[in-house]
Amino acid sequence: MKERKVKNIFMEGPIPAQKIAEDIQKHATQTNIGAHSIFLGQVRADVKEAGTVTAIAYTAYTEMALEKMYEIRESLFAKYPLTCMHVYHSLGTVSAGEICLFVFVSSQHRKAAIDACEELVEAIKFQLPIWGKEILNNQSTVWKENK
Amino acid sequence: MAIEILFFGSLTDATTVARLIVDGVEDTDQLRTYLMERYPALRSARYFVAVNQRMIQQTESLRPGDVVALMPPFSGG
Repeated sequence: MKERKVKNIFMEGPIPAQKIAEDIQKHATQTNIGAHSIFLGQVRADVKEAGTVTAIAYTAYTEMALEKMYEIRESLFAKYPLTCMHVYHSLGTVSAGEICLFVFVSSQHRKAAIDACEELVEAIKFQLPIWGKEILNNQSTVWKENK
Repeated sequence: MAIEILFFGSLTDATTVARLIVDGVEDTDQLRTYLMERYPALRSARYFVAVNQRMIQQTESLRPGDVVALMPPFSGG
């Protein structure tokens, strides 16, 4: 029977650009891969009536999110011929301009990686119990809504 | 019969707590009524309910040790 391995996706604070470079480098030994599709989510300094967004504070129902992520991962591996899939999402405070989501999908040929990556990002946004609270420059807060 | 209740996201503004232990509720409907009485601001809130990490659509009976999560629409990423 296949081992049921629930992987952690959460990182405290922003995702450093250095980590993204290192993760690409780590795949250099896997020479059956011909395509990587990477999505990076960056905190946007939206200007709202109440003020400008300076950061987002993320919280999650982590146990449920990791279980759900496991299901999403399994369904995408069943649907596309993927070599590997890595997801990192921030928890805690991430300032405007910093990276809060890093999705990295690899396959032999480009189409599978691109399509799976897009589907995965949508699933993360709409199916994982994660919440962002926008912190404005006047210290007030607004709960974020995904569109 | 103790049930653990978890509140997430904007709902914690209404409840001011993230976790609550409730005794004497038999199903999710009774729980909902109890919570709305205790936290009137929840009446106007939109949220999903999960019992032991499984989303529910209809009333479900609760057993001691169950964990019920109230979750507003997700906004990750």
